Formats: sequence, C-alpha cells, structure tokens
Amino acid sequence: MLLLTDTLAEMASSDPPPGSLAAAAGRDRAEFEEEALVHAEQLYRIALRLTGSPQAAEDLVQDTYLRAFRSWQSYKPGTNLAAWLATIMRNANLDELRRQSRRPVQEPLDDDGDYYLYNRLAESGPQPQDEVLARLSGNAIVSAVGDLPPNFREVVVLVDVGDFSYADAADILGIPIGTVMSRLYRGRRLLKRALADHAGGEAA
Amino acid sequence: MSADPCRGAESLMQPYLDRVLTEAEVSRIDVHLQECSYCSDRYVFERSLRTAVKSCCCDEPVPDGFVERLRRRCTDQA
Repeated sequence: MLLLTDTLAEMASSDPPPGSLAAAAGRDRAEFEEEALVHAEQLYRIALRLTGSPQAAEDLVQDTYLRAFRSWQSYKPGTNLAAWLATIMRNANLDELRRQSRRPVQEPLDDDGDYYLYNRLAESGPQPQDEVLARLSGNAIVSAVGDLPPNFREVVVLVDVGDFSYADAADILGIPIGTVMSRLYRGRRLLKRALADHAGGEAA
Repeated sequence: MSADPCRGAESLMQPYLDRVLTEAEVSRIDVHLQECSYCSDRYVFERSLRTAVKSCCCDEPVPDGFVERLRRRCTDQA
C-alpha cells in the first residue's frame, strides 16, 4: 500500500504541469547545456582513446550528447553527471566494440608479474627509474593503449585516463566491480607487455 | 605481509596506487617501501608510468571549435 502511494506521489511530482511543456523543454535545454557541456572535453579524451581517431571521437561525443539530451529527464540531479554521460557514450560505442571483439578476448597472461616492464627495461643494467621511463615514447604509450583488446581498453581508459573510480566504471560498463578490477589489472599488464615489446623492438 | 613481503607488496601495488586499500594495508606497504629499495624503485616506476599514460593520452588538444559544434548540435536538436 505504502509502495503504491509512494509511486503515485513520485509520478505526480515528476509530471510537468500541463501547458508548460515548451517552457520546460527550453529550461531543460539550457540546464542540459550548462551542466553537461562542462564534461565534453573529458568525454572527448575518453572517446579518442576508445575510437582512435579525432573525427570518430567527435562523432561519438556528438551522438552521446544527442542521446543524453533526449533522456535528460532520467538523469537524477546530484548524481555523477560525468559517469552518466560516460554510460551513454559507452552504449553508443558498444556496437562498434562488439563488432571488433566478436567474442570476449581472453589474452593469455603468463605469470609475468606486475613489474614485467620495469624488469625488462632495466635488464641492460640498473638505472634510475625516470631514465627507465624516459625510454618509452608518448606515441608508443598512446598506440599501446589503442591496441589493447576493447574490453580491457575501455576499463583502462575510464580509470587511468578518465579518472573514474572502480565503482563508476562498474556502473558505466554494467559489470561487477570485481570484473572492473580484474580487467583493469590485466589490461595494465597487457599494456606493460606491449610497451616492453615495443622498447625491445627498438633496441634490436 | 605474508611470508615474502616483496611478493605481497607486488600483488597490492596496483590497488595501492589506485588508493583503494584499507588503512592497515596501506601502512604495511608504506613500511615495506621504506625498508626495501627493490620494491620502492618499482613503486616509483609504476607511479610514473601511471602519470605518463594519463598525460600522453590527454596531451592531444581537443579540436578547435569542438565544444561550440557540440553546443550547436544540441541546440539544433531541441
């Protein structure tokens, strides 16, 4: 009984008064633009790493904002707007991701350990850490991120580039937080292995 | 940490850098990193790698007029 009254009250409060729909729409749009556009650059950076090209990234963000505007009523004010937008962007990009990874990618991961890259880079002799890192070029890092299998890449990009928490990433991707963690750790290891191979290739 | 403190630190290094460990775990690792140069070298490296990944991936400028084009698309749509 209580549930039904609550639901009715909620429905009543979320219904705009009749006759004010156009005004409400105008207010919505102003509000949407003011609040949502703040996150456009953050989303663009994520989109760029997910798609790999500036044009595709811009298209994806535009598609995201059009979808977001259409469902602006379902955004709960006070909740994490960047995460809400990223969820929409992820859905917008999902078909493409599905196309790329017809089945979930299971990269073999032997027990390289977390320090694989460091150990490989330092093989030629002990060096200060910043010198070890200086041997990796920015381009190598960007392309290694882009080459990660999609289901690992999206977690790494959301957390390590987009600064989302594990919990936000779990919401955005619709997967349990434990899956976020395992994909994130595995994705980072794959990244380190790719960087180690890249550095090895250059030295050879 | 367990029998091998270095192995224990390695297995918690990623969540440690992500700041998702409990206070007790953090302080165990803090203590270990102060005592062990093998692990602290690697910790410094992992931390800088994290920073490098982030800055390389965010380095490319957002295209000129990007936000304006986006605003226009939103306005046209409404």
